[in-house]
Amino acid sequence: MKKGLLLALIFCSVAGFAQETDTTAVEDFSMYGEVELGGGGKRFCTSKVFDLSPNKLISIGYDYQSSYKLNLGAIASGPAQEITTSNNYGLRIAANVPVISKTNVLLNIGATYWDNFYSFDKETAVNPLARSLQKYGLRTMGLNFTLFKPLNEKSFFILNGSGDLNGNYSFNDFQPLSYTKISATGIYGWKKHDRLMYGFGIARSYRVGEANYFPVFLYNYTFKNRKWGVETLFPAKAALRRTFNSRTLAFFGYELEGNSYLIRNRGNEFAPGIDNLELRRGELRVRCVFERSIKDFLWVSIQAGWRYNYRFNVDEKEFFRGFGDDPYLATNKLTNPLFVNFSINLVSP
Amino acid sequence: MKRFILLFLAQLLSLAIFAQTESDAILGVWESGSGKARVKIDKAAEKFTGRIVWLREPNNDEGKPKTDKNNPDEKLRSTPLLGYRMLRDFQYKGEKTWEEGTIYDPENGSTYSCTIKMTDENTLDVRGFIGVSLFGRTDVWKRVQLKKK
Repeated sequence: MKKGLLLALIFCSVAGFAQETDTTAVEDFSMYGEVELGGGGKRFCTSKVFDLSPNKLISIGYDYQSSYKLNLGAIASGPAQEITTSNNYGLRIAANVPVISKTNVLLNIGATYWDNFYSFDKETAVNPLARSLQKYGLRTMGLNFTLFKPLNEKSFFILNGSGDLNGNYSFNDFQPLSYTKISATGIYGWKKHDRLMYGFGIARSYRVGEANYFPVFLYNYTFKNRKWGVETLFPAKAALRRTFNSRTLAFFGYELEGNSYLIRNRGNEFAPGIDNLELRRGELRVRCVFERSIKDFLWVSIQAGWRYNYRFNVDEKEFFRGFGDDPYLATNKLTNPLFVNFSINLVSP
Repeated sequence: MKRFILLFLAQLLSLAIFAQTESDAILGVWESGSGKARVKIDKAAEKFTGRIVWLREPNNDEGKPKTDKNNPDEKLRSTPLLGYRMLRDFQYKGEKTWEEGTIYDPENGSTYSCTIKMTDENTLDVRGFIGVSLFGRTDVWKRVQLKKK
């Protein structure tokens, strides 16, 4: 019995020693080509193609537009006015964290904060909208999610939704949550190979200034030489990507940017009885973007371009206009300045 | 007394063998979630490492074997990806979890902190993260078995 135990002891110590031996000797890698998944698992496509720009976990940015003219229409007894901004600036902060990250489902939850201030220091603002913009600016705070659900190795589904509070509120004079603006996108797509994915879907969006529904087309493609690529969610944005290396990227493209803002008569800027207006802002940003890793996962992004405003009109209240031609309470025209945007980003693995 | 000591040693030994069996459950060949690579996990000096043993696209545009071209260290950019040790220094911490290791992503040349959890005998949750686990991404790896010829 004692001998048996001793033999077992020796055997196990030898076995343990053998297992600790490094097994990195030269071996034939071709044997790993012919395999089957253990337990009969299923393979799924991923949410990215080669060299796609990295997902930003945290982004802290600053947006600046140079001087431009606003030709603002009259609102009730408030006079019309042409006024020039010295500049237009604001913070842009966003967080986007993967809360479920599995092969068969990805769920990201995000939050955004943007503010936008107007500086009219050369003229006195008399138009009520100009007075409100000068005093309070515009803010956006929101929560969003993106669900990527691969169905198999070749097809997937994307669902994205967001709820935003947009308006001339401040933190000590918040606006009612009932004015939350809801946007959503659903896409069904195909991943043909590691360099191409595309899909079709429908979106409800405020990018044109007011809620509307339109078809969307997702197209992410990396050319075979891996130096160029396309990142598109048409019509919201599209860009041609130049990959200098895995840590340095440049983009040339556009993005539609817009929202509907609740404008309250917070300090009697508007005539009595005028309150809870909706400012429909929609603009096109044609831009060049340069992104580079400055230290490991810390990336800097610099963009510059031209901002073309196609809507800055005011409605009396929130309603669904669709493609109808209901008149606005006030129609405004803006000239189109250059803009720059700078951000520091923590990117995802 | 001698009999008692021997019994005690035998008990200790069986516990050690059980622990080793559990920690070694990770050994084998695994396929990444994207299916682009297969990694063989080995053990050396009580630490677990993983080498790339298969790539879906093993060659570059010029038809030559891919190298670690995105490595921040210029001297290492000619190292072949096949055979590259992308998992390093993992230690078994119990409850089917291996921690304190790193994972290297050849796609961007970044090294992340990493935790591996075995959810069943054929599945690993491999979580690469930056600083804290919240800022990370989990990739699910499946065990692969070599086809018998």
